[in-house]
Amino acid sequence: MKKLAIPGVVYLLVLFYLPFFIVVLYSLGFPNFTLEFYAEVLDPWFFKFFLNSLLIATITTVLCLVLAYPVAYYIALRAQRWKNLLLVLIILPFWISLLLRTYAVMVILTPLGLMFTFTAVVIGMVYDYFPFMVLPLYASLEKLKRSQLEASYILGASPLKTFLKVTLPHSKPGIVAGIMLVFIPSFGEFVVPSMLGGTYVTIGTLTWDLFLRYHDWWRGSAISVIYMAIVLIAIAIYMKKAGRIEL
Amino acid sequence: MMRVYVAIVFFFLYAPIAFVIASSFTDDSGLTLKWFEKLMQDSKVISAFYNSLTVAILSTFFSVILGTSSAYAFLRTKMRFESFFYTPIVIPEITEALSLLLFYKLLSFPLGFTSVLLGHIAFNIAFVFVIVKSRLSGYERSIEEASLTLGANEIQTFLKVTIPLAMPGIVAGALIAFTLSWDNFVKTVFTTAPGFQTLPLLIWSQAARGVVSPTLSALTTLMLVVSMILAYLYVRISTQRG
Repeated sequence: MKKLAIPGVVYLLVLFYLPFFIVVLYSLGFPNFTLEFYAEVLDPWFFKFFLNSLLIATITTVLCLVLAYPVAYYIALRAQRWKNLLLVLIILPFWISLLLRTYAVMVILTPLGLMFTFTAVVIGMVYDYFPFMVLPLYASLEKLKRSQLEASYILGASPLKTFLKVTLPHSKPGIVAGIMLVFIPSFGEFVVPSMLGGTYVTIGTLTWDLFLRYHDWWRGSAISVIYMAIVLIAIAIYMKKAGRIEL
Repeated sequence: MMRVYVAIVFFFLYAPIAFVIASSFTDDSGLTLKWFEKLMQDSKVISAFYNSLTVAILSTFFSVILGTSSAYAFLRTKMRFESFFYTPIVIPEITEALSLLLFYKLLSFPLGFTSVLLGHIAFNIAFVFVIVKSRLSGYERSIEEASLTLGANEIQTFLKVTIPLAMPGIVAGALIAFTLSWDNFVKTVFTTAPGFQTLPLLIWSQAARGVVSPTLSALTTLMLVVSMILAYLYVRISTQRG
């Protein structure tokens, strides 16, 4: 029976895991061995692009969280007969490629004269990643019983206090998961900044340029290894907090 | 208050998409289908459409076979290290795409149809695995054991009992795989050569230069329609068997 797993496992080993190993090799200067590419991409000239990405990803994550929380709350606890429809409307964008959704944003922003600005990138990112924040928040808020909130009210807590002491702590796993789901991909995102941001350079657009324009496998690999390290650290922290990854 | 806010959010979520669809059906004088007619006359669009479809169908076919058999083996033998199959889902696509590119470069593997297809399969195996496994785990091993006890051999049991039971999961996995492959951009762009274009690449090649055009919107609408049909089928299948 175990043999049935072999083709799939071998396939992923060769076409998924082995290639990662090759990236690490190139980042170390393959066919020679050197650490100069790491030194180079971590020097201030390169490093500012990491900061650009960090800035975009942080703004995107915070805006998504703030904008999505009331929506998730409404769907989970107030929507009643609209609940299923609203859920479908949140899930539907997952079926539409990010490229197409970004193009849709472009169609709106062009007549507004907002294209190729920092604002455009932020709008596009928030638009694209918004559903990724709503879903985990919804999942955690949905487990909150109306009766728990009512108990808090009956015992004399104000709506604000109820929110801070009951709702918010209860939704913490959802908040953490949402932050992960938005922060990780938006940090490395390159479709949105290159379509809407013009010359705004992020880790994503830089990786794209190094690989596809300059064929600089070494610096490109060093950057992606650093990005991967950031991602893995984030996932490790999350796993420690949440115990496991919910899909 | 909250209701108004939620309504506004959903308006902003869908307005851009509605606008794209509307602009692909209109011109200055009103409703028209001419942007779609223009698409049909564009040989680049036709060949990209054909390429997208071929890659999507083939990658779905292979990933369903590989993903399902792995899921079944992992479930029945209680093998560990499932995260082996989860990693491709969690890892940002761009890092996966560029590592594949390096892999192909190192082997001097020619870029084009085959390199794109191989990449899509890798990605899709993981999704099929996760979906099929979660569906199969709802069924008791005892159903298969009953079949074996009643005289069917292992292969008969697998074909006549296990596969039909897993069918909703397999179809759901296939739909996801097809969708991901159909509108995949990142992995395709890293692992292809100028000679092999898919629809997302065609959209990108114009949109990346900041060009917004009714024909491009028509192409986007076309892709949206396909995705929506797949999403609809997926919801139908998922809700059918709870």
